[in-house]
This record gives sequence, structure tokens and C-alpha cells, in this order.
Amino acid sequence: MSPGPRVARVERSPDGPDRLPSTSAGSTPRALDASMDLLNQIIQHPVDPDYAVAAARGGGRARLRWPLALVALVIGAMFAVSAVETTRAAPAAETERTELISRVQRAEAQQDELRARVTSLSAEIAKLRAAAAGTSDEAELLERQINTLDPMVGNVAVTGPGITVTVDDAVPGTLDVPSTDQRNQVLDIDLQAMVNGLWLAGAEAVAVNGHRLSSLTAIRGAGDAITVDFRSLARPYRVQALGDPKTLQAHYVESAGGLWWNELAQNRGMRYEISSEEQITLPADPGLVLRHARKAES
Amino acid sequence: MIPVLGLLAGIALGLVLEPTIPQGLQPYLPIAIVAAMDALFGAFRAYLDGNFNDRVFVVSFISNVLIAAAIVWVGDQIGVGSQLSTGVVVVLGIRIFTNVAAIRRVLFHA
Repeated sequence: MSPGPRVARVERSPDGPDRLPSTSAGSTPRALDASMDLLNQIIQHPVDPDYAVAAARGGGRARLRWPLALVALVIGAMFAVSAVETTRAAPAAETERTELISRVQRAEAQQDELRARVTSLSAEIAKLRAAAAGTSDEAELLERQINTLDPMVGNVAVTGPGITVTVDDAVPGTLDVPSTDQRNQVLDIDLQAMVNGLWLAGAEAVAVNGHRLSSLTAIRGAGDAITVDFRSLARPYRVQALGDPKTLQAHYVESAGGLWWNELAQNRGMRYEISSEEQITLPADPGLVLRHARKAES
Repeated sequence: MIPVLGLLAGIALGLVLEPTIPQGLQPYLPIAIVAAMDALFGAFRAYLDGNFNDRVFVVSFISNVLIAAAIVWVGDQIGVGSQLSTGVVVVLGIRIFTNVAAIRRVLFHA
């Protein structure tokens, strides 16, 4: 055997079993890539080398017919069972999904109910408080304070002139933008910018899709939906703000939020409509409860 | 002939009986199937090469399936089960493709 140039590939020896390069320091030189030839091995020895060994040994062909048949049976059964399992699992997953959806809807309905109850109970509390406080000067002063502060913090429903801003995701096809692009959808940050702009423009009360904003309200994205006070919103988004009818809209359009939305509407093709209203009524925020904060004694 | 008949009978049995696989074994069935396909195509290629051997096929099938399942099981125990099953599928997939390509060359000379 003349020492030829070393090749990286493992050469098949003509007579012997086609063993992988042995790591034992034998007479044959180790292939250069012997220790890292996983892919070589897979590609060059795809057939079990033992077939060659058995063939070289000249083993009988007709042995073990029954185990062969059994293995074939098992393989076939595995295919069938797996396919059956998968098709059977699909409707189960679907049922589970609808079940979950209906559970979410039930929970939301219950939440709505509870919120309505909170509102009515709050009204009752206010009435009872007024009755209990009596008619002394001090009580009237307190009552006046409460009446001033409640609309400000969002504890009671308010009504007055204002504007309604309606926005929605870009309609696919406008401005040649792909519909799936997430940048063409209204995000939580867009609504935050708008609401901040409205506050800046002098809004006295703001509600998003009928959810009154208070100092405790969070507007944020959760998955695909935008939530206000942990209630997910449905498109289109309607932001209503109470304020001076003469200046609110003009100031809002000039604010950072207004500019932000101007750009979104022009460059992204989002729906963006502002309308003045003579009278809008915003509901109370029923979630206004302080659980940990107490009035600091001065 | 026997293997083909066995395969068909197995498929028929599985479809008719619809046995339920124990929950614990379910993750390993797909991997076992890929390993079985590897053994099947390897055997077919060996058959075309003229050196098919029943014993080698049976042994290689059983060991393939067991090793593939064992790798995934170990992966499950150490938290990388899905990654390891991807690895098994890739490696066996390459082998299946190579074998099928060789079979195609022998059968169709293309």
C-alpha cells in the first residue's frame, strides 16, 4: 500500500465491513476529519453498514420472516395511529378554544355587570352621605368640595361640550402599505399620545370607547388588543374629551399628540376624524378605589 | 412482499382499532415514526442494492426507534426535549433524503 495523499473522506475498503474510522490507533491512518464528520457520516453511510456486513458474510435471506412481518405491521400501525390521533386531537383543540372564548365572554359580561353595580352603589352612597351629613354649614362645605372633586377625579359621570376623535387601523390597500404591517395598526402608544395631547389641550374628562380615564387608568397593549383599565377595546377607537368647545380642538391639533396623529393619518393611512360635539356624557370610572394609599396627616 | 403486506395490514389495523396511546408515550410517537421511515428507506435501498437482510432490518428498526425515543426522553428530562427531537428529525431527515435520492437514481436512472 503506497502512502498516497491523505484524503479527508473515509475510503471504503473493498472486502471488509464498512466501519467508521476507528478511533483506536490501528494501522490505518485516521482521517483528518474523523472526529467531526457527523454530516459526512450521515451522507456517506445512509444505509446501515450492517447490511453490507451481512451480505459479505453471505447470511441466509429467508430467515426471520415473521419478525419482519411484525415490524412492518408495527410501522404501519404507528403511521395509522399517529394520523388518527392527530385528526382526533384537532376537534378537541377547537372545542377547547371555543370553550375558552365563551368563558372569557362570560367573565367580561360579569365584569360589566359588576361595574354597573359599582356605579349605582356609588350613587346610593352619595345620596346617603348627603342625607347623613345633614344641613350644617360644615356638611354643606364638604358636600360642595365633594361635588367639585368628584367630576375631576372621574368618580361620577360628567356631561358637557367636547370633541370626539375616531381613529382606526389603516385600511389595507391605501397608500400601498401591506395590511399585515403592524405599524399600520393603532398601538397603545398612539392612544396614549392622543390622550396626553387632549389633557394638554385642556380636556377636563376623557374616555376611550366609553371607559372613563382617571389618574389610575393605564392604557397599554396586551397581545393584539389595546386595553384601558384592563378592558380590551374593540376597533374603531373613539376618544371623547370634555373641554372648552372654542379652544379644545385647536389646541389638541397643535399638541404633540395631535401632530403625532396627523403624521399617522398622512403617512400610514390610518382613519382619523375629529368632530365637535355640543353635549357628550362620559360615564364614571367605576374602578376608583384606593386600597393602600391613605390621606397623609399633616 | 411480506413487508408491504405487513405495512398495509398495520395501517388497516390502526385505522380500524383506533387504539389510544398512553399519554406518556405520545410525544415519542412522531419521532419513532421518523426513525421507522429511516429504517424503511434504508432497507429499501439495501434491497435495491441486493444486500437486504431481514435480521439487520429488524434489529436496526428496533434500535433506531428506541434510540430516537430515548434521546427525546432524555431531552424531556433535562428540558430540551423539543430541541433534541428537532435534532433527531434533522439527522434522520438527511438520511431519508439521501436514501430516497439513491433509490430514485436506481429506479428511474435520473
